[in-house]
Amino acid sequence: MALTVDKASKSFPGVRALKDASLELRSGEVHALMGENGAGKSTLIKIITGVHRPDGGRLLLDGQDVLFASPRDAIRLGISAVHQERNLIPRFSVAENILLENLPRRTGLVDYARANAEAKKYLEMIGLVVDTRTEVRHLSVAQMQMVEIAKALSHEAKVLLLDEPTASLTGEEADALFALVQRLKAQGAAILFVSHKLEEVLAIGEPMANMTRGRLIEAMIGRAERIAVVRPPKAATGAVKLEASGVATAAGHRDISFTVRRGEILGLYGLVGAGRTELARALVGKDKLSGGTLSIDGKPAVIRSVEEALKRHRIGYLSEDRKYEGVVLLHPIRFNVAMTIWDRLARFLGFQTAAGERRATEPFARQLEIRTPSLEQSVGNLSGGNQQKVSLAKWLAAKVDLLIIDEPTVGIDIKTKAYIHELIGKLADDGLAILLISSELPEMVALADRILVMHEFRIVDGFDNDRSYEAMSRKVMGAIHRHSDEAVAVE
Amino acid sequence: MGAFFRLQWSGILVGIIAGGIALALSAPAFLSEFNLFVLLRSICVSLLVAYAQMVMLGVGQMNLSVGALGGLVAVVTGGLMDALGVPTLPAIMIGVAAGGAAGFVNGWLTVRTGINGFIVTLATASAFAGINLGITKAVPFYNLPADFVAFGNGRVGLFPLLLIVPLLVTVVLALFFARAVPGRHMLAVGGNAPAAQLSGVSVPRAIISAHVLSGLLAAVAGVLAVAQLGSAQPTIGSDWLLISFAAPIIGGASLAGGAISIVGTLLAVVLIGLIQNAMVLVKVDPYWVQFLLGALILAAVWFNRYRAIKVGEI
Repeated sequence: MALTVDKASKSFPGVRALKDASLELRSGEVHALMGENGAGKSTLIKIITGVHRPDGGRLLLDGQDVLFASPRDAIRLGISAVHQERNLIPRFSVAENILLENLPRRTGLVDYARANAEAKKYLEMIGLVVDTRTEVRHLSVAQMQMVEIAKALSHEAKVLLLDEPTASLTGEEADALFALVQRLKAQGAAILFVSHKLEEVLAIGEPMANMTRGRLIEAMIGRAERIAVVRPPKAATGAVKLEASGVATAAGHRDISFTVRRGEILGLYGLVGAGRTELARALVGKDKLSGGTLSIDGKPAVIRSVEEALKRHRIGYLSEDRKYEGVVLLHPIRFNVAMTIWDRLARFLGFQTAAGERRATEPFARQLEIRTPSLEQSVGNLSGGNQQKVSLAKWLAAKVDLLIIDEPTVGIDIKTKAYIHELIGKLADDGLAILLISSELPEMVALADRILVMHEFRIVDGFDNDRSYEAMSRKVMGAIHRHSDEAVAVE
Repeated sequence: MGAFFRLQWSGILVGIIAGGIALALSAPAFLSEFNLFVLLRSICVSLLVAYAQMVMLGVGQMNLSVGALGGLVAVVTGGLMDALGVPTLPAIMIGVAAGGAAGFVNGWLTVRTGINGFIVTLATASAFAGINLGITKAVPFYNLPADFVAFGNGRVGLFPLLLIVPLLVTVVLALFFARAVPGRHMLAVGGNAPAAQLSGVSVPRAIISAHVLSGLLAAVAGVLAVAQLGSAQPTIGSDWLLISFAAPIIGGASLAGGAISIVGTLLAVVLIGLIQNAMVLVKVDPYWVQFLLGALILAAVWFNRYRAIKVGEI
């Protein structure tokens, strides 16, 4: 089976998402697809799977022109995708999610016994061990990802498209996924693997060679240069902005103590589920502290709400969940950036003008190089990287002293990522206190001045960062393993 | 006890039992056969109205026209029997089919125009009520077949004949949403429409089906209301909106869609019926009944939310 995309184009209001994209996928091959955010990778996938209809160009299956009216048509012809967005029904069981559009029936009713047995077959195929009757909302993110792949397999997919499949997986889980991809390839599937991560792309596909070798090498060199942009070590001399002592929360944190100074980047490293985001939420007043004390600018402080955190204590939180907590997708850029400073923009009787908003936000949009024809552009039409810049601009506009930055570069292309790293470093140099949360150790080592290691809702260790990736990763991983071993021993 | 508390409808059941005991002790008339018959008969229409909205919540939409639609079916059915002399069964069948057709109009407009179902049904509610008034000129149809009215008032002991219909519907709906593919598709669309679409589920079909089902249920409610009252009043349905949302939501349905409970809705209707019955028995000033009902429903939903947070559902 061979799938050919020939000069496909697609435009959305104000944005040219795809222009003359051509691609050929063949049975038994894995193709890797790279590109910056906004390069149109997701759009291309959505065209192949019948979600979007191309404005121009052709789609051929084994040399025959095909036109999909809906995803159903694509699935029927053996084309399945694992999309970036979570595409499961939270309250349905694992089995039902996997088999959703072809549930086994007996006398017109769903036959759950058979559905469970059948779903189990696919779970075994990918090596996921969960009860098929579990509701999907109770699974971890990685497990959900695996369920999505099982679902694509259940379609008997001959062409399988994986859009950033490892974005939310740990290294081990990603390895399991790679092994699976190789197995499917051996069974004759044509696979398209979309990723931001160069290591992955190199590991996964030999057809890369006859695809875009030239461009790939270029990307590699570019990356090597950018990795060299490591923030130079600096002794933290600024005043202490926030001091937490013995903080506890309802989420399960115990005895959390640390200080963060102006001009310093304090890293908070931990695996997914270690309790980092939950701690950030408590620090900005979104959740309550159940114990311990905070002191801000040297004075004891209680943060009762996010509003108080921002307006009185000048603390901002850049969420890891861009779409739901970072930006208002339907509103223009200026609206999103000005959101934190409306009080300041308000004139007579609290009114404000679009022109005022534009004037106030324009410098930040320029400073962050948000790529857009105008500030009136809906944020929903921007690429992920540019959305993240908007999210960041909002806090710059608010002139916070302490910015908690949660996973700033998840799902963001290499170039924008390097830019955001550089920017975070610059902000610290300008005197901002930064608490950086990241699960990506290279990012941590490149940016943080000190690294705290969080494990199971406690801070288990802390190190000065000497900028040597090998040494730091040994220390950090050692700390985590030591404490997981302890936990096992106690059990 | 913990496992029981985890059930979405546990609080409602406790409320019904506690309320029943309290009423039995404070108002002896409560346990009389006739009062229990009245109580059971009062929940027949409410139950179908609640289901009509529950179906919509399941697919992640709302139907503000349940009352107007049911009222229209009531006068159509009554008019066929009274003015045109159509026999009972054909008249009912035409009436219910008209309800399904009205539901289809709601669904088709929603899907076709892309306008939110909330707005579409807000508009069609006014349109249906207008047709109702146009047909009746606000005058009820009184001349109904005797067997039809007898069915609306008949009973075996304390069991109203009317109750047969909603009980049957309950069983069918429970099976439909638990096991039938179209029912599962509706819940999938309500739970995560883009995901359902990407899995090859037809979202427009699920939405239209839900609207048709909602229309059919509201129509049956309208017909039962006529049988119960013994006349086709143009005002039937005008007070259905509150209970249509209150019961499914007390029963644990999510306004965000995709999560409904048939047992929960059933029990919630019983609880609301009990509250209304209690207010009659303890002679609450009729002018304050509406206020108390609103307050008690709010309390019930609040309690259920508190429970959901406690057991980590939200």
